[in-house]
Amino acid sequence: MDQQAYVVNTGLITAIGNNTGECLDALVAGRSGVAKAKYLQTHWRDEVPVAEVKLSNEELSAIAGVDAGWPRTALLSAIAAAEAIQPFRGKLQGLRIGFFSANTVGGMDLTEDFYAGFVANNKSSAPLANVTNHECGAVTELVSDHLGIHDFVTTISTACSSSANSIMMAAQMISKGMLDVAIAGGADSLSKFTLNGFHTLMILDKEPCQPFDQNRRGLNLGEGAGYLLLMSEKAMKQCTAAPISVVSGYANTNDAYHQTASSPEGLGNKMAMQQALQKAGLQPSDINYINLHGTGTANNDSSEGLAITAIFGDKVPMASSTKAFTGHTLGASGAVEAVFSNLSIRDGLVFPNIRWQTQMEDIPWKPVTELQTACDIRHVLSNSFGFGGNCSSLIFSKS
Amino acid sequence: MDLYIYRAGLVSAAGDNSGEQFLANAPSYHTDRLLCDELDYTAYIPPMQLRRMSKAVRMSVAAAKICMRQDEKAAAISVGTGMGCLYDTEQFLSKMVTQNEQMLTPTSFIQSTHNTVGGQIAMLTGCHGHNLTFVQRGHSFENAVINAGLYLDEHPGEKILTGGFDELTNTSLAILKTAGVYSIEPRGPENVLHHTRPGGIAGEGASFLLMGKEPMPGSLAIRGLSLFVTKDTADALQQVTSFLQAQALEPGDISFAMLGTNGDGKYEPFYKALRQDVFKDCSTAVFKHLSGEYPTAGSFALALLYCMTSQNLFPAFLFNDTMPGKVKHIVLVNNYVNHYTCWHLEVV
Repeated sequence: MDQQAYVVNTGLITAIGNNTGECLDALVAGRSGVAKAKYLQTHWRDEVPVAEVKLSNEELSAIAGVDAGWPRTALLSAIAAAEAIQPFRGKLQGLRIGFFSANTVGGMDLTEDFYAGFVANNKSSAPLANVTNHECGAVTELVSDHLGIHDFVTTISTACSSSANSIMMAAQMISKGMLDVAIAGGADSLSKFTLNGFHTLMILDKEPCQPFDQNRRGLNLGEGAGYLLLMSEKAMKQCTAAPISVVSGYANTNDAYHQTASSPEGLGNKMAMQQALQKAGLQPSDINYINLHGTGTANNDSSEGLAITAIFGDKVPMASSTKAFTGHTLGASGAVEAVFSNLSIRDGLVFPNIRWQTQMEDIPWKPVTELQTACDIRHVLSNSFGFGGNCSSLIFSKS
Repeated sequence: MDLYIYRAGLVSAAGDNSGEQFLANAPSYHTDRLLCDELDYTAYIPPMQLRRMSKAVRMSVAAAKICMRQDEKAAAISVGTGMGCLYDTEQFLSKMVTQNEQMLTPTSFIQSTHNTVGGQIAMLTGCHGHNLTFVQRGHSFENAVINAGLYLDEHPGEKILTGGFDELTNTSLAILKTAGVYSIEPRGPENVLHHTRPGGIAGEGASFLLMGKEPMPGSLAIRGLSLFVTKDTADALQQVTSFLQAQALEPGDISFAMLGTNGDGKYEPFYKALRQDVFKDCSTAVFKHLSGEYPTAGSFALALLYCMTSQNLFPAFLFNDTMPGKVKHIVLVNNYVNHYTCWHLEVV
């Protein structure tokens, strides 16, 4: 029998807070992080709101205790990963520790500067230091070296489902006894590259986004980092750690329909949720809360909504998208929302799908729009769907 | 970790393995870059899709389809890439910078995503299963293999398509030459492998392997895999020795060792010690004079070894001095910059 992977702590930094506690306060208070860009220097600053972490690179590097010349994604990652492992530092002797960190943007924020010089100076004098951490894996290694984790280090990059997949793989390696402890999640900073890319796709909302609303207009890009600290039973004993939940189900499937769009009926989404339920040995009726992918685009919310209807019928559990708070943090979003899912289990909360106004016509159910407290949340399903048809669902169960 | 390689498909600077020509001739060139010798893709990719595909995508899709031929389906896909879809990334970045964020079109952005290759293979083969992409520098492909093992543990009867790809662009070549990763001067196959000067021969390619948990006739088994990162070649040597001990491999057990020698003087003491000391009792072979150096060149090495063992084809231009006898156990030692990998393979 495989072992189980327990969630014992979390680390988080997003537009609504610089650690798990601050983010939770904002969720409870209904305080969104979407605003006009302050740090991202972009032509679209006045037209497209974003969910920025409210700190400069210098301020982030001071908190993380690292070089301010790191890519912003690495700075965000270092802060959230350190929060996740902090309480157990000094108790981890002899345990095999892995760092599973997803991202999609790598060091692109610095590469953008490098490339401008590279083009302008006819490829000679652009500072190489600004491109040495371009690769997604380089960002992860900056942080794993900083934390002193070397037993297993990996970076998954599957667009918007990336960090859900980190958590899946970390849980598998703990289950198989290949590791005792894992910091699993991901990070992504805003960059001109991604902002302009999504802008050309015409799926950015020029107002704060309204996921699962009939009149939704698109998504707001966000940035941040989220990590779960996963442990085996043996590691929990050694660290005297108490579990919040267990990673009970997970699945990754592929829509195999279009490079950027979901199939209208959400085939990949449905398969991911069904296979995660199967892995967990749960029925749809066992799920108490669904943290929706819910980006706010016409396509995602319709496909995801129809896939949920197909599985849950007329008994759809409480469901909400938290992207109206944090924006879509891309490679970080699966892990940011995995942290929210664990807070839901720990504190008996269901977070509101803020700014929802109008019932969607193609689905018969509506998201939760007010904070729900004192709930008995035993099983949470968290969805993350991305480009390349990549669909991931995670299930966390009260332990 | 017992995994079995059932089939392989590769597109490389030394050609592809779709026909009989692969490994027929010794390489011959004088160049600073080993670019893929691309095939006629019409048998593998519909023309409408082909027109939109960057080299990274089309060579990967072709390698995947060569691997599966006409009759195989994979239940899942696991991909590694060090740099991702560089050409499309650069296209979008370049226009964004020069056009000051205006009048941009989405095509190259859409295709710049790291999991474009995995997504395209899924679409073109109708594969709705698990589909991950790893981007961990010189361990990207090896991480994809570890993931394949995890997937197969939970789905023991299935087969997973596992591969690696990286493409070279003019910009990446220029930058990596400046960084000392790639050789600045042209080299030929006779001196591409052993040099005192910095930089290995630049390369690119895509290689895919169909893997499962059950041994089949002619399959190549992966018995062990060890990854480590170090800046110290003496430490790397120690780790290789530890790996051989952990695998209980005695010098006499090993038919030959395949080494990732790339002509970079920085790593020459490491590979020299492997040739002259650690593997002094067996034949040693090389592969980077065929593939060039890139973060996922290990996927080429594995596909090449499958082609060699499945066809009993051991061309002299791959071996250093002595030719191997009957081939059973093979050790593959590779590095890309500070990322090292040791494999223990066995012909089933």
